[in-house]
Amino acid sequence: MGNCLKRSAADDISLLRGGNEPTRESSADPLGPPLYSEIIQPVFYPSPSVSRPASHLTEEEQVKIAKRIGLIQHLPIGSYDGCSKKSRECVICMVEFSVEEAVRYLPCMHIYHVSCIDDWLMRSLTCPSCMEPVDAALLTTYETT
Amino acid sequence: MSLVSKMESKSSATSPSERRLHKELLALIKEPPPGVKVDVDSVGKNLQEWKINIDGVEGTLYEGEHFQLLFKFNNKYPFDSPEVTFIGSNIPVHPHVYSNGHICLSILTDDWSPALSVQSVCLSISSMLSSCREKKRPPDNTLYVKTCNKNPKKTKWWYHDDTV
Repeated sequence: MGNCLKRSAADDISLLRGGNEPTRESSADPLGPPLYSEIIQPVFYPSPSVSRPASHLTEEEQVKIAKRIGLIQHLPIGSYDGCSKKSRECVICMVEFSVEEAVRYLPCMHIYHVSCIDDWLMRSLTCPSCMEPVDAALLTTYETT
Repeated sequence: MSLVSKMESKSSATSPSERRLHKELLALIKEPPPGVKVDVDSVGKNLQEWKINIDGVEGTLYEGEHFQLLFKFNNKYPFDSPEVTFIGSNIPVHPHVYSNGHICLSILTDDWSPALSVQSVCLSISSMLSSCREKKRPPDNTLYVKTCNKNPKKTKWWYHDDTV
């Protein structure tokens, strides 16, 4: 379990497939390792339609969620550069990105506000735009780099 | 003051869910897709319940018919899917629509994504109707309508037929 929460360091950049957009600095999580108080929230969503307070999760669900938290932290964060090829608004909150705003990159290269996508990934590890499973895509990226 | 300008002026200081609903509503009022019309009066009273009128598409089995959908949102929208049912006197006769208005459509439960919207749900339902080749109720309509929960999201849907 401890390993699930360990942060990767040197190989983060490999997730960016060529790393042409965000630089090493921007892909690093500026907040550092999360505090436990941030991880332990009152309610979790083992699947999108199931919500349970932390104390009512089954052991299987706890493992699932711990893995999910670990995986989300491997997804790079960059700052929005206003590049015209990228989507201009976050499809989750429907608010336009502002330049320099922190955005999270999924392996399919769709981008979202960090707090918007993390809320969704805690329910389902899929990209809201293309429905690609994030965990499978992340593993493929590791294998090919 | 019109409803639209009233909404534009009060779109601050609300929850993310309400802010998104405001945005969607304005877009739907300003640029509605063909055959889709939101009942602005119903939304004016309660942002969490929208009535939407949809017209049967020309050249399909539902041409000339008018239907009404009820969308119910909770404060976790768009992470939680809306509850969507047909209401009113004309429930479309369709293999995926029960006579109580419940709709068997995977994007309303298992395949929901926060990138979907009221507009995309309306268009999916409209295209589900348009692709129908024979007007008939689902085979288990009588039993389902007698025994189901009032909330269609509580039904464990079994999505087995993508042809219509």
